[in-house]
Amino acid sequence: MARMAILVSPELCIGCRACQVACKSWNQLPGDKTTNHGSFENPLDLTPHLYNKIHYLEVPAEKDPERWLFVNQRCMHCDDAGCMKICPSPGALFRTKEGAVATNKEKCIGCKLCVVGCPFNVPRYDEKDKISKCHLCYDRIANGLQPACTKTCPTGALKYGDRDGLITSAQKIGYEKLYGQTDLGGLGALYAFKDSPTLYGYKMKPGIPESVVFWHKVLKPLTYIGLGGVVAASVLHYVAFGPHKESEEEEKKNG
Amino acid sequence: MIRKSNAFEILNHWVLAISCIVLAVQGYGFLFHIEGIGSFFGGFNSMRALHNYLGIVFSVSLFFTLFFYLKESLTFDADDMRWIAVLGGYLSHKVKTPPMGKLNTGQKFFYLAVLIFGIGIAASGFVFWLMPGDKQLVMYAHVVHNVCFVVLMMAIPAHIYLGSLANPGTLRIMIYGTVPYTWARKRHPKWIAEVEGEAHKT
Repeated sequence: MARMAILVSPELCIGCRACQVACKSWNQLPGDKTTNHGSFENPLDLTPHLYNKIHYLEVPAEKDPERWLFVNQRCMHCDDAGCMKICPSPGALFRTKEGAVATNKEKCIGCKLCVVGCPFNVPRYDEKDKISKCHLCYDRIANGLQPACTKTCPTGALKYGDRDGLITSAQKIGYEKLYGQTDLGGLGALYAFKDSPTLYGYKMKPGIPESVVFWHKVLKPLTYIGLGGVVAASVLHYVAFGPHKESEEEEKKNG
Repeated sequence: MIRKSNAFEILNHWVLAISCIVLAVQGYGFLFHIEGIGSFFGGFNSMRALHNYLGIVFSVSLFFTLFFYLKESLTFDADDMRWIAVLGGYLSHKVKTPPMGKLNTGQKFFYLAVLIFGIGIAASGFVFWLMPGDKQLVMYAHVVHNVCFVVLMMAIPAHIYLGSLANPGTLRIMIYGTVPYTWARKRHPKWIAEVEGEAHKT
């Protein structure tokens, strides 16, 4: 099956936050008690009960007194997913055939290592210490529906569809290269940024922490190469030199 | 026969050895998503709980080893240098190894390695367990835990081989704590001299 994705277009977003509400509704997530921070942004960060949210930014602009940016933040469903790489429990994080990084709370052991592996600071943990994050409504998309957030979006700022198709359509309207098009093997959430990603609060070059890459590429293989090497060396030693018996010392003395 | 290890030391070594091996098997289960190991321990959730509690057993047992091996393992003399020069006689039974105390140089190095990397793997394990909210600290702990695992997974099989097949007669120390007097005099002459010296004093 072709890889599916969400295309986020901040320029089309009116900041209504219907995506936040639709997500909570479909996934039966309770509301979070928040306080007024003097911004439309609420809550200020993803929570265990908030899988996607609109990030509000006010930035200087040439024409208008200021420019508002509305950016939908969520799990990026990386192709090369740091969370899946570091997770010690098989099946807690799994890849669906549509390319989503979905979660299975029953298999999550609550170690929180995925928080370390994620380049975008997405995974949260609920009251039961289980992984809680956007799973691209894998139950909906598996049945031919689109995710709750994109279904609800009134302006097309969130679009769900075939990943290659979304890229082509964005290129047609002038976005040469989307954010996430090639990062981390290609993200499942693509962003049509008009300016530098940093203006929208995203890293220029997102990546899995180097320590996690080092662990995956070097330490992990060494755990069995080292063990196997020593066992093999012991066998070789036994064959080549044999056991150190007392009788040999006697022979040495006598001989 | 002469006693090399007392009953508590023998028991402690078994606790350390068994906890370490079970923890290591679980570690491979986590590292490589081995479903068989997970289901053996009742699923990955209970394996994680067991891994944590067994970590306490391992840590306590590692702490007790301080009283048995630390002082001896930090004492090096000229004979230890000579022992290193002849590679401990590991690569030839014809080599004459210098006289050793209760522990030979290799055993001292092994103990120090187990102590350092054992503390490293235990401390980083407790970070995962008790301080999962500190992302930066968990990131360091993750590397430390795995580096220590790699080192221990190389040192321990060598220790098991040298303490069993490679040197027949040594395995009995783990069970009875005693060794034949003549054997001890050959392998650990300085220890025997010490014991005999003390016996003379009293």
